[in-house]
Amino acid sequence: MDKKDLVPPGLSYLADNVRLKGNILGVSKQDGATWAKRLNLPKKKETIFFAGCGYQFGSKLESLMGLIRKMDKSAIGAERAMELAGFQRKIGLDAGGVLLKVMGEGGEEGSVLTDTVKILRKLGIDFGYLAEEEPCCGGILHYAGLRNEFVEHARRVDAELKSKGIKQIIGIVPSCTYTLKKLMAETNGGVDFKVKHFCEIVAEKLQSLKLRFPQKVKVTYHDPCQLGRYLGLVDEPRKILKAIENVELVETKWTKAEYATCCGGGGGFEAVFPEMSEMLAVIRTKELLETGAHIIVTHCPGCIMQLETGLKALKTENVEVLDLAQVVAMSMES
Amino acid sequence: MSVFSDYKKEIMDAAHSDRIRLAISRATLSYRNNIDEALKRFPQTIEVAKEVREIKKNSIANMKNLAEQACESVEYNKGKAYIANTAQECLNIVDKLVGTGKLIVKGKSMTGEEIELREHLEHQGNEVYETDLGEFIIQKLGSRPMHILAPAIHVLKEEVARLFTDLTGKKHPPEDIPNMVATARELLRDKYIRADIGMSGANVFAADTGTMFIIENEGNIRLSTALPPVHIAIIGMEKLVPTLHDAYKVSEVTWRYANYSVPSYVSLISSPSKTGDIEKVTTFGAHGPRELHVIFLDDGRSELAKDPILSQTLHCLRCGGCLYECPVYALTAGHFGDKYFAANGAVWAATISKNPEKAAAIAYTCLTCGRCKIRCPMAIDGPAMSIEVRRQVTQGK
Repeated sequence: MDKKDLVPPGLSYLADNVRLKGNILGVSKQDGATWAKRLNLPKKKETIFFAGCGYQFGSKLESLMGLIRKMDKSAIGAERAMELAGFQRKIGLDAGGVLLKVMGEGGEEGSVLTDTVKILRKLGIDFGYLAEEEPCCGGILHYAGLRNEFVEHARRVDAELKSKGIKQIIGIVPSCTYTLKKLMAETNGGVDFKVKHFCEIVAEKLQSLKLRFPQKVKVTYHDPCQLGRYLGLVDEPRKILKAIENVELVETKWTKAEYATCCGGGGGFEAVFPEMSEMLAVIRTKELLETGAHIIVTHCPGCIMQLETGLKALKTENVEVLDLAQVVAMSMES
Repeated sequence: MSVFSDYKKEIMDAAHSDRIRLAISRATLSYRNNIDEALKRFPQTIEVAKEVREIKKNSIANMKNLAEQACESVEYNKGKAYIANTAQECLNIVDKLVGTGKLIVKGKSMTGEEIELREHLEHQGNEVYETDLGEFIIQKLGSRPMHILAPAIHVLKEEVARLFTDLTGKKHPPEDIPNMVATARELLRDKYIRADIGMSGANVFAADTGTMFIIENEGNIRLSTALPPVHIAIIGMEKLVPTLHDAYKVSEVTWRYANYSVPSYVSLISSPSKTGDIEKVTTFGAHGPRELHVIFLDDGRSELAKDPILSQTLHCLRCGGCLYECPVYALTAGHFGDKYFAANGAVWAATISKNPEKAAAIAYTCLTCGRCKIRCPMAIDGPAMSIEVRRQVTQGK
């Protein structure tokens, strides 16, 4: 067997997209940047906001996953689904583009990315956004075991960011933030830019915000693996939530902070074991629902997708999943 | 069908089994309560674990020298010591010592699992009894161990009751667990006395004194290593540490994270049984074994020790704590692995069993969520190992 064939088809599909199209879904970069059209964010800045694939293409990822899961449970199997996706791409049918029309354009009020921008502006941060020039972090290549491809990709991204004179990056997707902050520096023997996650900045400048959620609410917090365990940011999100008037934070007994249970969407797992990934999402959602919270707050596009899948499978009504940025933005408005 | 699709079918069948899910979720809850209490009672364990990380790191880097030193110590104590470079070499040594037609009582040993010791001994015409209750159940069921410490973790009491009813012809109600335990005791009792040979592994081995540490609760290993006239221990080289004091620290951390808080028994064995009570003339084979044979198994470990990322697996104390934290293991038990489980299983399949397809299948089943690393007293980076196995099997070393 050829060594390359040992990479499961789901992962090689995502990895190929990164290498060929510059994002994990293989959609056109302009589609990803539409959310920011009306925000007039400058491109040339020393500090940039790095939006990442997850939130920008989230809705598309969700529908693609739905499709793959259905196929994984049927006799066709997810491997075949990935082959179909490859076939679609070969004949020039942009799977992401089709899905985009189904899901509608992003960028509406209240989406995670626009909320993030609103909060950073409120905090007086001066930053830009690279839009369609934003490179993919390429983390999935590393996780897929395609180290050579990752090394090459990381060098290219580093050079690109250097040529744009970027000194600081504000990350929002945990996985991209970890890749840019740790993996890139390790691979390239150090980088010229500093990386901070959005929640670190909010936690630091928390005093300058007056936060009040529109109504009294019980929330629980789900730590994304890469934010909590990889980047060590377990206190910051809790500090932020606790600072919001009307918000009561209720937590699970065993499975919180660094012991939080993975939502089942880690490291490309959902593309290899779509059905098991859904089972894991349900298990995690159940754990979180036991707290009696009305809102499950998390801070990662992958986790949001998984937990929503969990809620749907459990037919839970009156509980919603929100990103931490959305909760903060909602609390600024009132 | 490829190895991956066979494996995926196996693991998805496991994931659909409510029985596995129920069994592991019960075990996990009990583990979390126990470890929480153990660390509250003995809070120093966390600091000792940090010391042990250093001890293990240095020992693994110096494994070959320690093995030679350990052999000298064993021989000095009038035991016989051997270094087996491969699993086959190890089995050859065992064959010379055991031969055929013997009655053997065996303590649970992961190293034994690794070289398929029981199957081999039976094939050579010996009668072998697993004496650990979980392992005994597995042996009689013809199943395979699903956890490194609790091999029968996936078996419900109803199944054990049915098994014991079949074995004895006497009805065993599933709710009467003490009765099942008593039956196992009764079935095995005379085997210890009649056995020609007792076999065991060890949790730690002190190279300076030639002392092995064996941690257990049941007492079956005490009997297996004390009653028969010959004791053969097969010990993976990664179990070696320089001194008796180091070995004590490693043992304490092992049993605490292994859900034992305080174990019923820790056996320290350094030599054959001896007495000098008649005119101070040392005579071997008093009440315990007359012969002690210690085989140190390399089987790819010294090669693995050179790998900057994968060598971490050799730091593993085999406490099994990581498995209770693994979300995939919670659904699939030991189907997620190959002798060793989760990330450790992937490393083992890639480097020791040299089965890249199996290794890839296991490595790509890891969520890389990293909760195993948080639990691990040695802070072994499971995700980093899984990702490195993915890299090595797809892109070469």
